[in-house]
Amino acid sequence: MASPSTQADYAAFEEKVKRTVYLDNLSPHVTEPVVRSALNQFGNVKSVHFIPNYIEPRNIPQCALVEMEDLMQAEAVISMTSHHYFMVSGMPRPVRARPAEVNMFDDRPKMPGRTIQCQWLDENNPDFKVAQKIKDLTMLNAAQSAFLLKQQLQEEENLAKYQQDILNANYKKHEVIDNIMVDGTARRLADRYNLRCD
Amino acid sequence: MVEADGVENLEFEWGKKRGVGGKKKDVQFYETFTYDGVEYSLYDSVYLYKEGEPDPYVGKIIKIWENSDKTKKVKILWFFRPCEIQNFLGNEDSAENELFLASGEGVGLANVNPLEAISGKCNVVCTSKDSRNPQPSDEELQAADFIFCRAFDVGNHRILGKIEEKVAGIEVKFIFNRIDLQKTNVVLKLDSDKKGASGNAIASYETGVPSQQTPTIGHTNLKTTGISIDNLVKDNAGSNSSLVKQKSSLREKPTSTVGVESDEMAKSNDRMENDFNDGTKSGPIVKENTDSKASLVKQKSLLRNQPASSIGTELKISKTNNRQENVSSDKTTLRFGEMEDRPSKRAKFDGFVKVDDKNKKSPQILSTDLDGNDAKALATVTALEDKSRLKLAKDTQVAEKDPFKKVKSDDKTKFSNGKLPKASPGRALDEDKKIDHQIMEVTRRPDTDRSRWFKGLPWEDRMKTANEQGTLVLLQNLDPTYTSAEVEDIVWHGFKESCTAKMIQQTSISSPHSGQALVIFKTREAAEIAVRKLDEGCLLLSNGRPLVGSKTTCYPEKKPSFFGHLVIDKLKHQMQREMKEAVSTSHCSQPNTIEYEMAMEWCLLQERSDFAWKKLYEQQGEALRKLHSSLKFK
Repeated sequence: MASPSTQADYAAFEEKVKRTVYLDNLSPHVTEPVVRSALNQFGNVKSVHFIPNYIEPRNIPQCALVEMEDLMQAEAVISMTSHHYFMVSGMPRPVRARPAEVNMFDDRPKMPGRTIQCQWLDENNPDFKVAQKIKDLTMLNAAQSAFLLKQQLQEEENLAKYQQDILNANYKKHEVIDNIMVDGTARRLADRYNLRCD
Repeated sequence: MVEADGVENLEFEWGKKRGVGGKKKDVQFYETFTYDGVEYSLYDSVYLYKEGEPDPYVGKIIKIWENSDKTKKVKILWFFRPCEIQNFLGNEDSAENELFLASGEGVGLANVNPLEAISGKCNVVCTSKDSRNPQPSDEELQAADFIFCRAFDVGNHRILGKIEEKVAGIEVKFIFNRIDLQKTNVVLKLDSDKKGASGNAIASYETGVPSQQTPTIGHTNLKTTGISIDNLVKDNAGSNSSLVKQKSSLREKPTSTVGVESDEMAKSNDRMENDFNDGTKSGPIVKENTDSKASLVKQKSLLRNQPASSIGTELKISKTNNRQENVSSDKTTLRFGEMEDRPSKRAKFDGFVKVDDKNKKSPQILSTDLDGNDAKALATVTALEDKSRLKLAKDTQVAEKDPFKKVKSDDKTKFSNGKLPKASPGRALDEDKKIDHQIMEVTRRPDTDRSRWFKGLPWEDRMKTANEQGTLVLLQNLDPTYTSAEVEDIVWHGFKESCTAKMIQQTSISSPHSGQALVIFKTREAAEIAVRKLDEGCLLLSNGRPLVGSKTTCYPEKKPSFFGHLVIDKLKHQMQREMKEAVSTSHCSQPNTIEYEMAMEWCLLQERSDFAWKKLYEQQGEALRKLHSSLKFK
């Protein structure tokens, strides 16, 4: 029963999907203007839509759908982020881009020509038990996913902590080097060992 | 507008014309029309039923026309139920049957609907204290389906304490109660194409068609007598004179309006009934200060609840007619019954036997208290026979009784569903389906919620409220490709509940096997019932997906933290200032920096997680596939 108009709508939507990139590992502080100015270097950003996070833990990275002007630009963004580490409003965690998928869109139109059926199963129906099992499995799967996500977040946190330590140590090292230059220690040492020091 | 197909062949007739309009003068405007035996005119309040919405909408007809392509349209000025605008109601209280008149400018004020969307008249009484508003009496208030005294500005979403001078271009006098009283509104205007205005304009009736049907006269006589007897019995008062006057008026009216052709019989019968109602209601108004008014009105309100006599029967029928247009099939049987009985009116025993048969056919619909009613009605019949000596009495009475029962039985189904009349046919049908464990095709849910005309609150806010009120449900194991609207449709078909749904947008870590959606139900009970049903029962969707539902607790209000953006403590403040000033803060990392090395670590971690997700979903998919293959479903 798909009328030509809905089919056309859907085709237009699929085009839109193709020229859209999915960005993730964004910091929650990233706003639309930030994304726009970041990706405008590689083309023209037409729209930015942040995917809201309703049910996952609060501290998963933000992700966004960025619609570019055409497929070429979208591909450019993707290839750029895969070849370089692209930082947006923070470092050192790079932003990742990949092609958007239909199911990521909130405003996606109904798939033309699809009909959905639903049925309350009778308890005596042999399928009833199987269906119950599938339901249980679905819940189990959801729990597994939640666990993996938690695990992943934990790893991320650990890595962040570890890097923070390294960074602090590094900073300290540079500070010390800076200091010996500033307070003349370096020059005195150079004099003593008959080295030149500028 | 979604209407049952059966409605299409309902009888329809245009009434009084107004002007023509449109570019080519091909649009004809009307003032009245008859639809399914009920006459509507401009500024009537009507129910508009959308199949699927449990509650019908209420609006006021402000324009009636027919396009050149013969489509019939009405423009409806809406009334809002408090629940539809509760977001904007704030702390204001509203009565249970209070409505809010749409007002101001913007979406939701008024719109054009197919005429067929009208499903019945609605008695809306204006209780505004405005001096121009004829104040309703207590009886009218009791009889009212709804009341209104406030308006809702659709433009800036505010409740207005009083009605504006003009609403949707309609002068306020048409919005207030009519001079000839709101109550008669329901029936009075039915004949407005024939007569001037109020019920005391009897004279005009006499110009009507000469009656060819003596039975009808008998019919009327009987009814009239019924009233007087009832009144006498009820209050023992000697308000005979006024009643007699009323009686005579009644006698005259129907004779003038009776149709001539036999194929119009049913319709004329309707009209006659309406007139009759008219008489009973407007009669007392003429004689304002007599006792009989109070008693009659009182009787009327009593009769609404418990029709115990012939007049009750009649009133009930016409009332139900007015209200319950959608029960078309019943309507036709009702009419059919009348038609059948009519020719046999002279042969009184014939008619009696026939009805007896019907009684036998449908004994199950007669509840005990109905039987009581019958007995009473029969008693009245005998009394009438004795007193008025009308040969036809019994048989007419019987003819009346029969439709009454049918209507009553409708009432019963109505109550058992616990829903408003208009919802009953569609609903009953759907419920049957469910019980049969039939496969339902999930079609488009009937027209979307009217409250969506407003932008309303953003989803986040609504979700938060829903979360607090316990109306939020998480559905799982949906096909991830479903859209939010489709989920709403599924919920509608599965639970007969309208809701607002939102598919969770997929991200890179979302399961490809199970789509999730958040659903906000209208009430906490509905949400709980849905979750329980899904838990105990099993709603199988296309391609063998049983739906999983759970009450969900929404995210805690916590500031999100993000791992992976490092700052050097000492430079924090300086950096934050720079961030604010910076237009763009993005760059590609250069090799030979610590940043580059760290970024590499992040990418490594990312790859590892990606791999983990992929493996997990592969495993899950495999397990699901195994189970699916043991499903016999298709």
